[in-house]
Amino acid sequence: MIVLKRKFSTLVWAVALAPGNVAWAHGPVFSPGPETIWQGGTEITIAVPYSKETGAGARRDVLEPSVEVEYGLTANWSIGIELPYKFIDTNGPDAGGIGDVVFDTKYQFWKQDLPGASYKAAAFARLKLPTASDTGVPRLGSGSTDLAGGIVAGYESRRWYWFTSGAYRLNSKGGGGLEKGDRQFLNAVGGVRPVLSEYGEPDSVFMLELNWERSDKDKLIGLSLANTGGWELFLSPVFWWTYRQIAVKGGVQLPILQNLNGNQPDTGYRGKVEIVYHF
Amino acid sequence: MTAIGKVLRIGVFLALAAAGTQAWAGKVYKIGVDGLACPFCAYGVEKYLKAVPGVKSLHISINSGIITVTMGDGATLSRDVARQVIRKSGFTMRSFR
Repeated sequence: MIVLKRKFSTLVWAVALAPGNVAWAHGPVFSPGPETIWQGGTEITIAVPYSKETGAGARRDVLEPSVEVEYGLTANWSIGIELPYKFIDTNGPDAGGIGDVVFDTKYQFWKQDLPGASYKAAAFARLKLPTASDTGVPRLGSGSTDLAGGIVAGYESRRWYWFTSGAYRLNSKGGGGLEKGDRQFLNAVGGVRPVLSEYGEPDSVFMLELNWERSDKDKLIGLSLANTGGWELFLSPVFWWTYRQIAVKGGVQLPILQNLNGNQPDTGYRGKVEIVYHF
Repeated sequence: MTAIGKVLRIGVFLALAAAGTQAWAGKVYKIGVDGLACPFCAYGVEKYLKAVPGVKSLHISINSGIITVTMGDGATLSRDVARQVIRKSGFTMRSFR
């Protein structure tokens, strides 16, 4: 039972620190985009991610609303903080409390602006602090300080969008001597704006994301745990709706291929809704 | 005063008023901007430009990539200021006239 709970926790942490959570409004929902906010600009996001996992005789629903604040140090460099609150509902005990606080930064190191379009590339990093409780059952956090980083490139035009990104998450040892496996992420995204709306008009963009996630096996006191690690591939239809400095984003992440080691619960689906405000 | 005289006086008054209006109207600049792809990103440009002293109003056309800036009475906008504002907003100035 303890091992099973660890496996669930691994999936929950994967959602919490997925690079897609590097929130910048003008990007995909489940993966990062290369956009940074303008110099001196502030972005506030209220995000509500939800995930459902079932299988191996267990069920777990996780709701983790968060407030995220990003600030543009320059037009191509931003920093931010994410403050989550987590609810975990299982077929056993439930839990709720402050989640792991995350600091993030993104630096757009290349940009080519064209009439009505631009190519961009950026590097990003996230540092997760062990602010959530890691002693209860189920555990709200990993108890470890983890670092994630990656690169994203993309093209945006009046009509078409594409983004591609890769990231690596380096996990450290947490409470009870448990060290979660490192994780790797690859993403490809395509999008279209059906109506070329003008400034001051409501604007909509629809995208399709392909998200691949892989996890190394967890280790407990140096020993690999058999029922951990593996990879999953998700197909994720998402949308943006914006009006001036307000954006609403959302989408669903559906697993289409999974190859998890041993006996682990499957990710049923993940969903996310975000409201973003710029000032 | 004859009727013709009255008409002439009114005509001269209207012509002077129109000329005066022209003389006092703010200068209008058209800034070509590259990288403008979505309305949401353009908010930063609006915010920055409205903070420039003398800017009275502006119109952003995403489809043409042109921002039309109307200045207040006697105010001017330099090319360097415009370029700096566009750069800080995250875009590239293509033209200024």
